[in-house]
Amino acid sequence: MRETVELSLVVNGRAHPIRVEPRETLADVLRERLGLTGLKISCDVQVCGACTVLVDGLAISACTYLAADAEGHEVTTVEGLARAGQLSPLQQSFIDAAAFQCGFCTPGMRMAATALLAENPAPTRAQVVAGIEGNICRCTGYVPIIDAILEAAGAVDAAGVSEGAR
Amino acid sequence: MIPPFALARPASVSEAIATFADAGQDAAWYAGGTELLQVMKMGLARFGTLIDLKGLPELRGIAVDASGALVIGGAVTHREIERSSIVGRELPGLVGLEAHVANVRVRNQGTIGGNLCFAEPHSDPATFLLACDAHVELWGAGGARELPIDGFFLEPFVTARTPDEILLAIVIPKAAAGEGRAYEKAKFRERPAVSVAVRLRVAGDAIVEAVVAVGSMTDIPVRVPEAGTALAGAPADPSALGAPLAAGAEAMAELDAVGDLDGSADFKRHLAGVLLRSATRAALSEAIARA
Repeated sequence: MRETVELSLVVNGRAHPIRVEPRETLADVLRERLGLTGLKISCDVQVCGACTVLVDGLAISACTYLAADAEGHEVTTVEGLARAGQLSPLQQSFIDAAAFQCGFCTPGMRMAATALLAENPAPTRAQVVAGIEGNICRCTGYVPIIDAILEAAGAVDAAGVSEGAR
Repeated sequence: MIPPFALARPASVSEAIATFADAGQDAAWYAGGTELLQVMKMGLARFGTLIDLKGLPELRGIAVDASGALVIGGAVTHREIERSSIVGRELPGLVGLEAHVANVRVRNQGTIGGNLCFAEPHSDPATFLLACDAHVELWGAGGARELPIDGFFLEPFVTARTPDEILLAIVIPKAAAGEGRAYEKAKFRERPAVSVAVRLRVAGDAIVEAVVAVGSMTDIPVRVPEAGTALAGAPADPSALGAPLAAGAEAMAELDAVGDLDGSADFKRHLAGVLLRSATRAALSEAIARA
């Protein structure tokens, strides 16, 4: 019989008791077992960014991360961005800037940008470009995505969250 | 899907080594997984047991030892190095390098020890550490040993490390007075197309010593002694380096370059000459500041 491990996977603030094989990736467990299908599996080799989620606030590729390694850490997926039915500033700014077409890269883009803004609440345009360097979009040409992230950074400032961070 | 394996989580290096011995030849060390999980997914490697080194305290820290050398634990991630104030002070070129390894997710997950042990010929840190005269500390069934990084890489994906050995730490000597160390690369995709590292020392008005390494160009990252010789004796003046840099670029052009998706062998030889100029100027500027 194959080895399995019992996990308490904390995703978007909620603990999920779950038994997994060590070989199962976080991407597969989130999508197939927990029904969190926001993240996408595309390149499957950590290049495209479609499966980006946060572990303890850091962007990682869920396709190349063992679910067993998430035990004891906080996982955040795109489904965890909205609070009490309110879109996060970044989700709203993506809508306002029309920062997606097919939408396949969008969950990963938002998670990469969420990590970027948590670390640097008032990034320059160049810092935004560097921050999403590893997330590939084949529709937009990136300009509206960069605009949306910069706009969300402004929203964060207006809410006073990053007061003094500049 | 990744073939099935058991996951072991030892609490110490000695326990890890015992776990490896128990697993026979069927175990692999596992840290960030950014390389290992890929090759397992592709069916290029299969192991019955992965032994997780991420939590081992012996592999976790960044410190300066009694000799002033910078010691980076094997399981320290690229991102931790990028953000380390100790590395920023002791070896700023490494912070700049780490900030541009692959993408942010790889940097958050991947470790410096894993990067070196995987021995991908396009490794960023390998080339820089080669110029910096680093050595690696290994610990395996036969005890502990140290190996200079020059000689650690044997061929693509092969190092002098035996399978039972763990890369505990990378040790980089303290910069001498007047010494500067810099790394420059051209990158079109995740990994460098070509990278060049230069370590040089100035005394008075001259460069008195220079070591040049090139990566992503030959089978394994290598030192280019002729390029170092071309720079030694040159004036410590960035505007007066034309002839030495041209001679250095000629030495680069003699290398047995391997074309790949990032460019032909000829293009890589050309890039190496270009990068030698920028890396030399950056190293010289740091050297003058430290003189």
